[in-house]
Amino acid sequence: MLLVPDASEQEIAATAAAFLAAEFPLARLHGARADHDRLGEFAALGWLGLSAPEANGGSGLGVIEEMLFFYELGRVAGPVGVLAQVLAIAAAGDERELCAALIAGETPVALVVQRSEEAGIRFVGAADRGYALEVTPAGATLFAVRGGDCTEVPCLDRSVRMHTGPASALEQRLHVAGDRLWYRAQVAVSAMLVGTAECAQDMTVAYAKVRETFGRPIGAYQAVRHPCADMAMRIEGARCQLYYAATALQEQQADARLHVDAARLLADRAAKANTDANIQLHGGIGVTEEFDAHLLLKRANLLWRLFGASQHRMRTLLGLDDAAEGLAHGEDA
Amino acid sequence: MDLHYSAEDDAFRAQARGWLRDNIPRERRPAHGEAAAQFDRDWQRRLFEHGWAGLNWPAEYGGLGLSAIQQVIWYEECARAGAPHYINTTYVALMHAGPTIIACGTPAQKTFHLPRILAGESLWCQGFSEPNAGSDLASLKTAGVIDGDELVVNGSKTWTTDGQHADFQELLIRTEPGSARHKGLTWVICDMRAPGITVQPIRTMLGDAHVNTTFYDDVRIPLANVVGEPGGGWKTAMSTLAFERGTGFIGDQLALYERVNRAIALAGRTRLADGRLAIDDSDIAGRLALIKADTLAIKAMTFAQISEIRQGGNPGPKGSIMKLMVTSTAKALSHLVAEIVGWEFMEYNDDRNDHPLTYDYLWSWVYTIAGGTSEIQREIIADQLLQLPRSR
Ligand SMILES: Cc1cc2nc3c(=O)[nH]c(=O)nc-3n(C[C@H](O)[C@H](O)[C@H](O)COP(=O)(O)OP(=O)(O)OC[C@H]3O[C@@H](n4cnc5c(N)ncnc54)[C@H](O)[C@@H]3O)c2cc1C
Repeated sequence: MLLVPDASEQEIAATAAAFLAAEFPLARLHGARADHDRLGEFAALGWLGLSAPEANGGSGLGVIEEMLFFYELGRVAGPVGVLAQVLAIAAAGDERELCAALIAGETPVALVVQRSEEAGIRFVGAADRGYALEVTPAGATLFAVRGGDCTEVPCLDRSVRMHTGPASALEQRLHVAGDRLWYRAQVAVSAMLVGTAECAQDMTVAYAKVRETFGRPIGAYQAVRHPCADMAMRIEGARCQLYYAATALQEQQADARLHVDAARLLADRAAKANTDANIQLHGGIGVTEEFDAHLLLKRANLLWRLFGASQHRMRTLLGLDDAAEGLAHGEDA
Repeated sequence: MDLHYSAEDDAFRAQARGWLRDNIPRERRPAHGEAAAQFDRDWQRRLFEHGWAGLNWPAEYGGLGLSAIQQVIWYEECARAGAPHYINTTYVALMHAGPTIIACGTPAQKTFHLPRILAGESLWCQGFSEPNAGSDLASLKTAGVIDGDELVVNGSKTWTTDGQHADFQELLIRTEPGSARHKGLTWVICDMRAPGITVQPIRTMLGDAHVNTTFYDDVRIPLANVVGEPGGGWKTAMSTLAFERGTGFIGDQLALYERVNRAIALAGRTRLADGRLAIDDSDIAGRLALIKADTLAIKAMTFAQISEIRQGGNPGPKGSIMKLMVTSTAKALSHLVAEIVGWEFMEYNDDRNDHPLTYDYLWSWVYTIAGGTSEIQREIIADQLLQLPRSR
């Protein structure tokens, strides 16, 4: 039983953190119409294939390492395209050629976030080339995108591109039944959410030490200190539960789904509340375009909408479904 | 990271489960009074006789010296089996006084007190807070003046939980006249039967009188009862408080999980005023789900803390995060249950056994106040974890 990263896990997290801090500082997001995913750079360092089997050109690591990587990605509001790419690689499975192209970052993948015959589709990511991935509790589907049929629409999170189009713009390329990818996706997006929450906390705490009003740093006022302590509490709970969930999923523990759903709920709460408090505790500068705080708020809004279905999560947690029964059965559900 | 228990730990769990199944008392613990204290003594004696006393005490002092993970297993099994709650009249003796004497006591103090605590023969209470020194404990004024080989104590302590049952008290007093704050304090073992001590019950809103004000009128305490250095009482006291905020609540942390599951079952069979099952109300279900998620997180935090300690780290202010999270989750849970149960909740007759749900609800404020209020926990987190500028 060990619920803190061991030496090799720490090293992976530290390597990811160093790369991301150097190459993806938050400052990059100002003014840019859309953050380039720069998949090639992630590919070159092996991040995209981190948890793909070695036989398919990956590094063969597991859910835990993947979670630690996405946590760090969340801390810099890193490219969401990387999340889509990693999940698509998992979906591609044994399709060697496809897998190789995805791991090399040559074929970008968008995330389908809405799809119905009547209302059409919506996806986050580029439309011109490549694929779009939809992940639901029932299965994951990789589509080829007919970009010409789609329209780019604005997105509150300016660092990502968003498109809508008719359902016919997607052509199914492959489908994997079961909820295996759904739960991998939940762990990854939860990790990004907690990373975002932690970035917001660090920003507030740093400012509270230097900004002075009435002759004292604002961090000496309890109306500032106590919300900071609450930020720390939300992160601690969400982070420990995330560690537990990723480990349970990695080990295919019988109650892994329950733990992942709990982790996601707490990650949502931490990201929403911390990005909110971060703006409030910065005062006027917090609402400016020039300052970083809104970037985190907008990113949190994007992330907590991904892989939604909170109704499903609630039912699992309350034991109203037998969904939490066992991973092994779910594999071919 | 991994979630595997060793074969040894699995064997320990099986052993604990089997023993608890065959040995937990059949009768309910009386709600109050001497009968409740006697029940606790008897249960402690039983644990002692069967080799289950002093889970976290080193073996050389008669304890089990269990690893943190085996302590977790023990408390999980207790919660599962519905064993008597460990936060009872033996709590201060086993979780505060004993560990403090082990850390700072003299050989004579160890020889006399530790076996009696383990066997459930002596109960203890804590005399730290005063009417004008709670959160700001260092402002305490109860004084001890040295006279020969004795201290003569005058003053008063308050909120003395279970003082009416206790044989001994951990007493924190000012022994250097004119000293201020953390200096000049001394931690002494006070015999609760000594002449000059008056214990006056305080009735609480829970309908019981388990806390007291303790008055000291020329109470003579041998200097041999000082634990740690005379004048170094703050240091001795902190070894106790750090313990309480760190691992002293493991059992409560884990018991929350069973409580949430019982609340979910309750919501699944209780009808609201409009005839719907409580669990079908989306507000209730949403709040329950979040509380359950928090409870799982508390368990995960417990494992993470244990892992950090094992890797040589010091969880330090994380203990304050834990207390804040456990007490606020317990409060949210008992308040939600109060909404679910309807009018039955109102039939409270001051007996916790008859109305545990109302009792839990009223207790939730004790939880967020005693042992350092939630506000003080936030202060500790802000100071020590986030290193924010001091507010005071
Ligand atoms: C049921 C019960 C049992 C107890 N058992 C024991 C016992 O056995 N032995 C013992 O020694 N003590 C015991 N206590 C005492 C307990 O530790 C104190 O009540 C607690 O530390 C708070 O102190 P206080 O009551 O003096 O409140 P105060 O310190 O007067 O606080 C009043 C309010 O102000 C807030 N506050 C105070 N200072 C600050 C600050 N710096 N920043 C922000 N907010 C602040 C507090 O959070 C609180 O909300 C018990 C208390 C209760 C209720």
